Amino acid sequence: MKKQHLFLLLIALLQISCEKDDVCPATTQTTPRIIIEFYDIAAPDEIKAVPGLFAIGLDTNANEVPIYNELVSTRSSIALPLQNNSNQTQFKLYESYNPIDTPVSGNPDTITITYEIETVYVSRACGYINNFSIQTFSIASDNDQWMINSEILITTQVTNENEIHVKVLH
Amino acid sequence: MKMKSMSKYFISALGCLSLLMSLNAQEVETEASDSIVVKEKYGLRLGADLSKITRSFLETDYMGFEINGDYRLLKRLYIAGELGSEKKTTTTNYLSSTAKGTYLKAGVDYNMYENWAGMENLIYSGLRFGFSNFNQTLNSYTIYDTNSLTWGQNEVVDTDSFSGLTSGWIEILLGLKTEVLNNLFIGLNMQIKARLFESEPDNFENIYIPGFGRTYDSGKFGIGFGYNISYLIPLYKKAR
Repeated sequence: MKKQHLFLLLIALLQISCEKDDVCPATTQTTPRIIIEFYDIAAPDEIKAVPGLFAIGLDTNANEVPIYNELVSTRSSIALPLQNNSNQTQFKLYESYNPIDTPVSGNPDTITITYEIETVYVSRACGYINNFSIQTFSIASDNDQWMINSEILITTQVTNENEIHVKVLH
Repeated sequence: MKMKSMSKYFISALGCLSLLMSLNAQEVETEASDSIVVKEKYGLRLGADLSKITRSFLETDYMGFEINGDYRLLKRLYIAGELGSEKKTTTTNYLSSTAKGTYLKAGVDYNMYENWAGMENLIYSGLRFGFSNFNQTLNSYTIYDTNSLTWGQNEVVDTDSFSGLTSGWIEILLGLKTEVLNNLFIGLNMQIKARLFESEPDNFENIYIPGFGRTYDSGKFGIGFGYNISYLIPLYKKAR
């Protein structure tokens, strides 16, 4: 009888040992993207949507890289993923982008973001995430520049996507 | 006739006497040879954990060895301990890490089983204090980034090593030991553990602690199993 109890307990313990905290839960804070919000150059405190805003990534060789889940839309803010293995990421931001026209119409401006990376441990299942400290945010000047000025709002670390990290005036 | 009955009487009387004498003799003999008083073996039992050896052969990410021993102090009480070494690689979707080190566990076992005469099996509960000295290597990791489809995921292979880590824990055991051959025991036990302290590696955690086993995100508890073979070196005998 005693032995039977022992084996039952053993089986119960085996069940516990199969507990899975080896799967990363979807609710875990991931490596944040950088959030840019657009304001009116004439009234810097007022949010102003960008018509037909569209972003394309530029790799280190200036080749265009499509951004996952990025769609053309008129909006006042955009979330951009930074490269995890570099301290600099470039994007081409289009205003009034129209992919139907050939050649595609729209006004592209190139932005360069430099940042410092801190790798932060999360858990055995999720491993590590990156947090960024934005060092510089620059807009390449051209003849037809639609983004006029910018301001880094989060000078400390970018840890989530719930706040605006950079303000751009246009 | 008379003579016959006389002799009959004599024989039966002799028989009675001899029976009495023999009974008497038996009593004397009992006291001298201890055939009723059962003695039990006291000594040092030494063994090894077979499950760890087996796992070392079967699993590529595990290497382990444990020797264990107990010394019978009282009828039911044993001083017991384990000494072992483990190396375990844990791999999840986002990281791979190897823990390697040695451990020592010391405590007591209490036999709860009432044996039949001549048997010396154990169903026991035990208590241990465990201590481990180990190091942990972060073999590789991939940054957790749900937006990584844009730039691609890249595995970071930098062998970050954390050495000189320690951890201590308390353990409750439940197990059995059966004498299968003279002085040779086969045993089975399970352990429930609670971590008392651990040195946390910087920007990482102890995923596996030699002796303690894998850690859980949910808390300080852990579990373990053992399957032992051991040999009793009898030192003296004592009445039970």
